[in-house]
Amino acid sequence: MTEFEKLRVVIGYEFLKHIRRKRLYIILALTLLAELAVLILVPVLGDGFPDNIMVMAAILSIGPSLATIGAIFFAGDAIAGEFESKTGFILFTNPVRRTTLVIGKYIACYGSVLMLIVLGYLIVAISLLAIYGSIPIETGGSFGLCLLYTGAVLSVTFFFSAVMKGSMSATVITLVFIMVISGIIDSVLMMTGQPHWFMLSTNGDSIATIYGGYETFMGGMGGMGDIPFDFEDPSISLSVLSMSLYLAACFVASLFISNRRQLA
Amino acid sequence: MSEPIVIENLTKYYNKFLALNNLSLTVPANENVGLLGPNGAGKSTTLKILCGLLRASSGTAYIDGVDVSTKPEKALAKIGAIVETPEFYSFLTPEETLGYLGRLRGMDGDHLKSRIKEVIKQVRLEEWSKVKIEKFSRGMKQRLGLAQTLLHDPPVLILDEPGLGLDPRGVVEFRAIIEKAGQEKTIFFASHQLTEVTQICKQVAIIDHGRLLAFDSIATLKKKYKSLERAYLELTEAPLD
Repeated sequence: MTEFEKLRVVIGYEFLKHIRRKRLYIILALTLLAELAVLILVPVLGDGFPDNIMVMAAILSIGPSLATIGAIFFAGDAIAGEFESKTGFILFTNPVRRTTLVIGKYIACYGSVLMLIVLGYLIVAISLLAIYGSIPIETGGSFGLCLLYTGAVLSVTFFFSAVMKGSMSATVITLVFIMVISGIIDSVLMMTGQPHWFMLSTNGDSIATIYGGYETFMGGMGGMGDIPFDFEDPSISLSVLSMSLYLAACFVASLFISNRRQLA
Repeated sequence: MSEPIVIENLTKYYNKFLALNNLSLTVPANENVGLLGPNGAGKSTTLKILCGLLRASSGTAYIDGVDVSTKPEKALAKIGAIVETPEFYSFLTPEETLGYLGRLRGMDGDHLKSRIKEVIKQVRLEEWSKVKIEKFSRGMKQRLGLAQTLLHDPPVLILDEPGLGLDPRGVVEFRAIIEKAGQEKTIFFASHQLTEVTQICKQVAIIDHGRLLAFDSIATLKKKYKSLERAYLELTEAPLD
């Protein structure tokens, strides 16, 4: 039996795990609620829907949050859980490489988060079609960036899952790293005019700013008053580079650490 | 043919704590060997190294002539193992769990299905075969643990306290299954239960502080020390009243 055949087996059973978890359906329901809230609140609190379709498309882009929450909740226990709950005592005594197990888990997690993202973008597409009668071509680019961002966030989560002893600590640390630490450093770099293309939160912003940048987005929302510094739109190409680096580096590190880790 | 289990000068440190001290041992083919020793003697560490879960600080462990540290997949293909109290994915049923583990070992189709039925019947989990493991007691998980060691009919069984958590009936049934399996397989079996070891094994290895104190037939040890219990207590330096 080849490692590739074993990989297919691992992916199948790991995917089964995700679709049997309540958290998948909770996040799916939250996605629907979030998009519904945007569709109701924007016209109610403003003067109807924005005239510019790009603004509405950007507002509806909850892809980065979905990718982050989905990836963290599905992958936080991917590696740490095998050690913490001791299921590794059964799994790792089988003739299968740990690399195969980790890759299989990664692909299954990615597939599960992809379901959420596809649902989110379907809602965006249907809503824009219903309100404006068209879907901007940039939606495809936004979707592509979101897929890459998902891969990057998953790799970061796998890295922390490989390093940490417990699933909960891996989940919390990844959440804090991506949503708090990265966001704070990103804001500081942005306000002081320093390059910040390498921050994951900037990369996440590119998923929405592809529709026209911060200025279009804020102008379309009625402006944000006088801001004492300039917002520099994230460069799409640099964001792609940054996300690719996160994806590759963190995933390779998680493979290395998982292979070295012992089950005492 | 190589010996099923060969341990050569195995040493293991956990930071500065010496868990195994130059341990060497050979388990001959089709023999059932018990591994005895007090808590912290190094029994589980030895079995974990054999199962590829831990790396030795020095020395080598071979399964059927294959070095576990350099070719773990090839070595692990020959064994069925229970290490510590087995835990399984709670979202799967026993049938699904065995299906997963069987497929990882290259089993498939009708052969896998019939083996799953056989081993589930053997460990008496028929009524629970389609129930999610999240509802299982420790003893039921232990039964499933034994089922997964037998599923692929491996020539070598490595068992770490397999009777732990079982009720008296479970212990008797368990012993019968292992005794039967031991007629055609090599079993390396760590336990604190001297009675259990006596019933299943003809030879025992007694270790303490990571060192091999004795490796002999139970009959010889009984002759020399009057009973296996006395042999165990004298060798591991416990006070004798």
